[in-house]
Amino acid sequence: MSFETDLVAVLPQLRRYARALTGDRAWADDLVQDVTERALGRHSGFRVGSNLRAWLFTIMRNLYIDQLRGKRDIAVDDETAPWRQMAAPVGEVDGLVLRDVQRALYCLPVEQREVMLLVCVEEMSYQEVSVVLNVPAGTVMSRLSRAREHMRVLLGEEPGRKSASLKMVS
Amino acid sequence: MTTSDHPENPDGADSSVTADELRALSAFIDDESTDAERAETAARVARDPASAATVAAYRAQDNALRALFTADAAPQLIVVRPRPRYLMAASWLTVGIACGLLMHLTLPMFDREHPAPMFAQHADIAYAVYAPEQRHAVEVAASQEDHLVTWLSKRLNRTLTIPSLHEYGFELVGGRLLPGEDGPAAQFMYQNASGQRLTLYMTSGSPKRKEEYAIRMLRDGERRTFYWTTDNAGYALSGQISEAKLRAISFDTCAALGGDPKRWQ
Repeated sequence: MSFETDLVAVLPQLRRYARALTGDRAWADDLVQDVTERALGRHSGFRVGSNLRAWLFTIMRNLYIDQLRGKRDIAVDDETAPWRQMAAPVGEVDGLVLRDVQRALYCLPVEQREVMLLVCVEEMSYQEVSVVLNVPAGTVMSRLSRAREHMRVLLGEEPGRKSASLKMVS
Repeated sequence: MTTSDHPENPDGADSSVTADELRALSAFIDDESTDAERAETAARVARDPASAATVAAYRAQDNALRALFTADAAPQLIVVRPRPRYLMAASWLTVGIACGLLMHLTLPMFDREHPAPMFAQHADIAYAVYAPEQRHAVEVAASQEDHLVTWLSKRLNRTLTIPSLHEYGFELVGGRLLPGEDGPAAQFMYQNASGQRLTLYMTSGSPKRKEEYAIRMLRDGERRTFYWTTDNAGYALSGQISEAKLRAISFDTCAALGGDPKRWQ
């Protein structure tokens, strides 16, 4: 398998993560373009046999954080925040209204959002996430725990409160 | 709002569950705990309704997030803008990327021309039917594993072995007998600590089976089935975990059941 073939295989995941992180299709497509270009340009910076996915996600994450700073922190309630332009999802999963989950996700600080997306959506291990974010695995664990609790509060399910998802336990 | 006395602090710790315990519950769901921690957390979840509710809420969040963001397989055109000193390299890379994209485009068509064999489709459907079952997921539970093996070996008319998926965090739940395309088939179900399930489907060793199958994948939405044949018997491993993980387990399972996954690589 060549570097390019491996890279192409990761593209769908990169794009999913870019969209989830930015909440903006155009921004996400640009990010994927930038990441791919950099990856090809810095091909030699990649150690053969190490985790290509983590390497690419790290490049994307750093680019995103830089671009976010350039945009002078988009206020979460800002009507012009990019994620507000996203199509509102319909339906419910496990008693959670998807639209509420989407809104809650973009209310999370970016450090919590990225950990949540990497573990829950990209199904990375804490170890892999710690490589992507360049923080200890213990930090990944506590950030994720805070993100989940934060989201629970945002979704109006305070701990101990009866909720529809309680039905899941049988 | 019932208990709004709690300040909405980001740590979200309430009186009954501490931040440490919340982290343990989180790790439990992600299958990131040690064996000892897992046992301790499982016991806590079983006796403490607040912990059980937390686990349920977190899992619901995970499922909702996955539903919000599905992988988009449609290839994106990556434009490699050549820079003078990279000109040659870049043009070759463009060719590489284009070939990669072409492969992506042609693979599904290839699959349509070679539909999955009946046993793989049966296995896939059997997963869809039984994996969500809470109370009747299996006919014979893993606690009676000896009986399960004897019974199904007899019905399939060959000696069956149930591979262990312990190292992947999946434990045997039990098994059941199913009607197959030519005679009885067996389905074994496994489950991990976060409740995800896998099924391993096996047919009898039919001498009628002419085709041999390398490990291949059948996909229906989030559900994937890797299937292969060894000594005239069909095998299929189905689940809704990540493709890479399921593929890795399939290769190991194929080897554990006397097949040679290297032949297929």
